[in-house]
Amino acid sequence: MKKLALVFILTLSVIALSACGGKSETLQMLWWSDGTEGAVMQTLLDDYETETGDVIELVTIPYDDYETRLATMISGGEAPALARVTEGHLNNFKDNILALDDVYTTSGFTNLFYNTDDEVISLPMDITANGMFVNTTLLDANDVDYPAPGATDIWTWTEFKTEMMKLDGETGVAYPGLFDSKAHRMMPLMYQGGVKIWDTPYTTSNLKSAAAVGVVEMIMDLYTSGLLSPEPYAGSNAANLFKTGQYGFHLSGNWNVSGYQDITAFDWAVVPMPQGLNRATILGGKSLAAFDGSGLEKEAKEFIEWMAEGTQHDLYTGGVPYLTPRLGATVSYGDFADEYAVFLDEIANTDAMYVQDWLAQVMIPGMYPIINDFAADIADPNNTMTALQLLTQLETDLKAVAPTN
Amino acid sequence: MKNKLTAQYILAFLIVLVFLIPVIYVIASSFKPVSELFVASPTFFPKNFTIENYVNALKRGNFARYIFNSLLVATTSTFLAVVINTMSGYALAKFKFKGSTIIMIVILSTIMLPLEVIMVPIFSVLKFFGMYNSLLALIIPAAATPTGIFLMRQYLITIPDELIQSARIDGASEWKIFTHIILPNAKPAIATLAIFSFMWRWNDYVWPLIAISDPDKYTLQLAIANFSGEYGSDYSSILAMSAISMVPMLIIFLIFQKQFVQGTVQSGMKG
Repeated sequence: MKKLALVFILTLSVIALSACGGKSETLQMLWWSDGTEGAVMQTLLDDYETETGDVIELVTIPYDDYETRLATMISGGEAPALARVTEGHLNNFKDNILALDDVYTTSGFTNLFYNTDDEVISLPMDITANGMFVNTTLLDANDVDYPAPGATDIWTWTEFKTEMMKLDGETGVAYPGLFDSKAHRMMPLMYQGGVKIWDTPYTTSNLKSAAAVGVVEMIMDLYTSGLLSPEPYAGSNAANLFKTGQYGFHLSGNWNVSGYQDITAFDWAVVPMPQGLNRATILGGKSLAAFDGSGLEKEAKEFIEWMAEGTQHDLYTGGVPYLTPRLGATVSYGDFADEYAVFLDEIANTDAMYVQDWLAQVMIPGMYPIINDFAADIADPNNTMTALQLLTQLETDLKAVAPTN
Repeated sequence: MKNKLTAQYILAFLIVLVFLIPVIYVIASSFKPVSELFVASPTFFPKNFTIENYVNALKRGNFARYIFNSLLVATTSTFLAVVINTMSGYALAKFKFKGSTIIMIVILSTIMLPLEVIMVPIFSVLKFFGMYNSLLALIIPAAATPTGIFLMRQYLITIPDELIQSARIDGASEWKIFTHIILPNAKPAIATLAIFSFMWRWNDYVWPLIAISDPDKYTLQLAIANFSGEYGSDYSSILAMSAISMVPMLIIFLIFQKQFVQGTVQSGMKG
């Protein structure tokens, strides 16, 4: 018993000693990764340390609990110096984030986010866009026509459905295709149908217009006709399902270009999304923010200034499965160049008013989850509400959380 | 009589099966290639057996380190929990002093506060004591648990007072009574507490998420959760590492299973 107690005390002492000698001057950067982003950022952090002597520790947190961790650190007085953030994080923590107008040339970037004083609060690191992946092996085997990646003759949703329905019931086909059941993937279809959410922001919406009803009815038809998998798990695991080779298409985003590199059982390609009245995609993206209360605010700003320089920024976007938000950048996307060209073409063919309409939603607390729920309701095979009823409910819910002034 | 016994065995077997099927499915699926994981009609066992998921998962992080950290945290905090909870349970079960009932009620009432509610205050306390981002932050707060104290108290109440009194008459010191009479008699409850405590610390996720920043101090559960990103989860790696994470619990249970069953029955403890 005495020996056991002695061993135990020694163990605790070793742990206690290992906890000491802390790296108090080390900056912490909160991070999550979907693929190669962490490794690419670590390489840049190593370069930064060599160049300046400043050590930045990359703290990787599971995405699902990222916000919990960030909130606890800020509330507990241990704010990280830097953190990778989404639009939602920027909105939720904007009071704790440092303004960066005097840190880097903000006019050189797109997808900027502002605080209530109209100050830029992050450095855009990457942007995402929606696009259409197709399993060319499966499509070719079933004589399904689809546009070539560089095609200028863009197909319509009616043509798309007619062609893809050729897969329905064929051997080795679970469903013709998959949509991610997220707001980001549904909203391009609304914009393609010419529907902006707001006519006059937060007071008059276009959600009950005939055009909006038409788009939602079309999406509901894609599910009820058997074109899209209605399984509840399909929308949130669409990428994993597409990898099985049993689906003809996947409406997703450019991050899957790298995620699909390990597919060896079939060939795939990125093709232009079908169009409605016009073409449209919507942007997402991640930024880097510096936090107030870390005690290392000056050092954090210095890193952002360094990171905003073209060389460093292009090294990052060239190594991750995303697009660059740096205006005028000539990023080499390497093996992904052909696929990324399609996404860049989608962005180039998207009217700026739709981009602005979407950004107006994601920065208002509560709006994005409401649109997410709406997207899930459309996909739900047990939904009994009509398109107009769903849109009316959406309008009511959005207005309930909209700013009042 | 024989038929009744057979029926009981069949029923017990079916119940065991219900609990075991998900576990076996996780292990079996961890040996499936990705193409078999997401199919419309999945098979229970892999058609094409592969250890690729394990190889890929182990490449993506320093899992030897994470397993070591989890083992270190689970064993040291379990040792501490057994010592402190047994002593506390003994004091509350066998010593009559003013306010003992109130202390017990206060201890029990803390069970009703979920960790999420007290997360920020505990975080502040850890920071104050300089334990943030140290494995001590995972060990010390878990050293005394209300459930553990309750379990030990309930068990130790069943030990006859006469046994303690006669030891005192024979001149035994309080420490000697605790180490030579109470501890040997409390073995089943201690085994139960040890298993539960080890399981709680081994499976703990939320607390390490908050208290640890340095990737070298990650526990296994924290590392497994990092296989999930914004756009999806690497289920093949999650399955492989989840299967590995079951092994220590299985070993601990096999060692203590006899005492665990006895202790669970006598203390009225449920998992």
